[in-house]
Amino acid sequence: MNTLFNTARAAIVTLAALAGSSAFAQDVTIAVVPKVAVPFFDDCNTGAQEAADRLGVSYQWVVPQNTQGATQVKIMEDLIARNVTGIAISVNEPKSVEGVIQQAIDAGIKVVTFDSDSAESARSLYIGTINTEAGVTMGNSMAEALGGKGKVAIVTGQLGASNLNERIDGVKKALEAYPEIEIVAIEGTEDDLAKAVSVTEALLRANPDLSGIFGMSQVGGPAVAKVLAQKEFADRKGALQVFAFDDLPDTVQGVKDGFINGIMVQRPVTMGRLAVESLVAQIKGEAGEIKDIDTGVTVVNADNLDSYTK
Amino acid sequence: MSMSGQKSATAEQTPQRLWHGLAQLRHVREVNVLLAMLIVGALISLYTPYFLTTNNLMGVFRAFSLTAIMSIGMVMVIITGGIDLSVGSAMGLASLVTALCFDAGFGTSTSIAAGVGVGVTFGLANGLLITAVGLPPFIATLGTLSIGRGMMYMITHGVPVTPDTPEAFSVLGQGYVGPVPVPVVIMLALMVVFALVMRRTRFGRHVYATGGNEHAARLSGVKTDRVKLAVYVLSSTIASLAGIIGFSRYLSAEPASGFGSELDVIAAAAIGGASLAGGVGSVTGAVIGAALVGVIANGVVLLNINTYAQQAITGGVILIAVSLDVLRSKLTGGNG
Repeated sequence: MNTLFNTARAAIVTLAALAGSSAFAQDVTIAVVPKVAVPFFDDCNTGAQEAADRLGVSYQWVVPQNTQGATQVKIMEDLIARNVTGIAISVNEPKSVEGVIQQAIDAGIKVVTFDSDSAESARSLYIGTINTEAGVTMGNSMAEALGGKGKVAIVTGQLGASNLNERIDGVKKALEAYPEIEIVAIEGTEDDLAKAVSVTEALLRANPDLSGIFGMSQVGGPAVAKVLAQKEFADRKGALQVFAFDDLPDTVQGVKDGFINGIMVQRPVTMGRLAVESLVAQIKGEAGEIKDIDTGVTVVNADNLDSYTK
Repeated sequence: MSMSGQKSATAEQTPQRLWHGLAQLRHVREVNVLLAMLIVGALISLYTPYFLTTNNLMGVFRAFSLTAIMSIGMVMVIITGGIDLSVGSAMGLASLVTALCFDAGFGTSTSIAAGVGVGVTFGLANGLLITAVGLPPFIATLGTLSIGRGMMYMITHGVPVTPDTPEAFSVLGQGYVGPVPVPVVIMLALMVVFALVMRRTRFGRHVYATGGNEHAARLSGVKTDRVKLAVYVLSSTIASLAGIIGFSRYLSAEPASGFGSELDVIAAAAIGGASLAGGVGSVTGAVIGAALVGVIANGVVLLNINTYAQQAITGGVILIAVSLDVLRSKLTGGNG
């Protein structure tokens, strides 16, 4: 981690923002609000930023400091006050943002959701992984690796996160076809790596006969890889089938090291790009039919590790 | 504050008297923080036309109102020399219990009463652990923090509770009185009431006395255990009220609601001049402290300052504001 560099950069950007007055010179400003600061959303930021540059619109990236619904509501209110023209948001708590999304739309702001939806809200469309489908793919991959038999556990992120719960539903749906596969535990980690490591250790100690782990959120893969690399669990490598979500460096390394069978890789760069493109098209009145966009998942394993794209 | 003894009004002495008056004003710590907030606000409005709009300011007020409300209870606890780490859990559990009551078909007043009941229970538990069992406040409230949060996860299994609520209930969190959001009105009302309680009543004096020198206070007849029990019950009850208002605002009781908010609340009280050693602090100061943090958070978004830098900027401004405050107190020879 190059903390010093980042701090210096933050300070420079801060000064530049204070000194400059270009913030409201352009007509169109797109704001993108992720759930929280994690690498997955850096990829979204990359895609969104590129699209904004290409389309010649102003761009603002606003990261909430925690995963509470209230924090995103506050940020949305600030963005409405700032008169942005379009907002793309990955929702932490679907119900709590319904009111503020309506408020934004009443103020003439276009709103889309990406990655995590608020389906009951007035947003024009959702762009992201159809999570139930991704979960089904994951469940089938696991069943195949297990030969249709064994005890499995699910390590998820925030227990309330709707996208994660949809993935879990998909996994369960896929496993219904395999009565000899039993889900012995579903554990939350609050998307915190340290917590995910201790949860995984506890799972392995409590279930000596565990034969599979699903990492539903992005901390799952790195956590399982870290735990299996420990001496205590050396004998579990190979005996444990692991499928994870999102290709963080540690998760990819886990595949290379043989700790992880496969990764469900979403397409965050595509999500960010499509979110900005869709908002700009809607603002210009050039959007065609408005409907949700499934960005899909790729199952990445040792064979295609070097060749996949996001 | 001592009264100025100067009586003559010669030409030389008038400015001196004015200076003395200003110096006295500097002893009021709220003024320092208020000044810091006005400076930050002025800086923000120099660079963006969107800050000083009624809608934005009311949004900012509403955004920090829950932290401010909780800081009113917290500052009383801190003045007795204690700390209440459980406010975030009391807030969250109160919002959850209120939501569950609506979900079970109870009416508005019953549901609110149940939420407040959570607060009272939290406060009694904290107060009794501290006075009857003799646990340090940090430990007692750390324990109830964890129990409260754990109960929320046990009840919800992580899934937010989103019942249908009557229109009248949502006024609490979403309504307006003229241009002013209802939570802000409640915050101001609580601030005025408890500022008067702390300044004008015997109970208020006893709270300061307990934190200033507990032994001396007890010798002079203050029932310090009762005072402590009372402030912990007040703190948790006020926090539960914030939880109910928050639920009315978002109509969703999520298990993470209020998570970590104790730090924001303690920070607000400390920025507002409360000493964690006890004996010093004020209700209005705490509210202004919450306002300062709220204004910074708003400014960072309005100015499109790098979002990752927000917490560092907030921390920097807090340290500068409080350091200036402390240095000034030293220079003017006051103890704040």
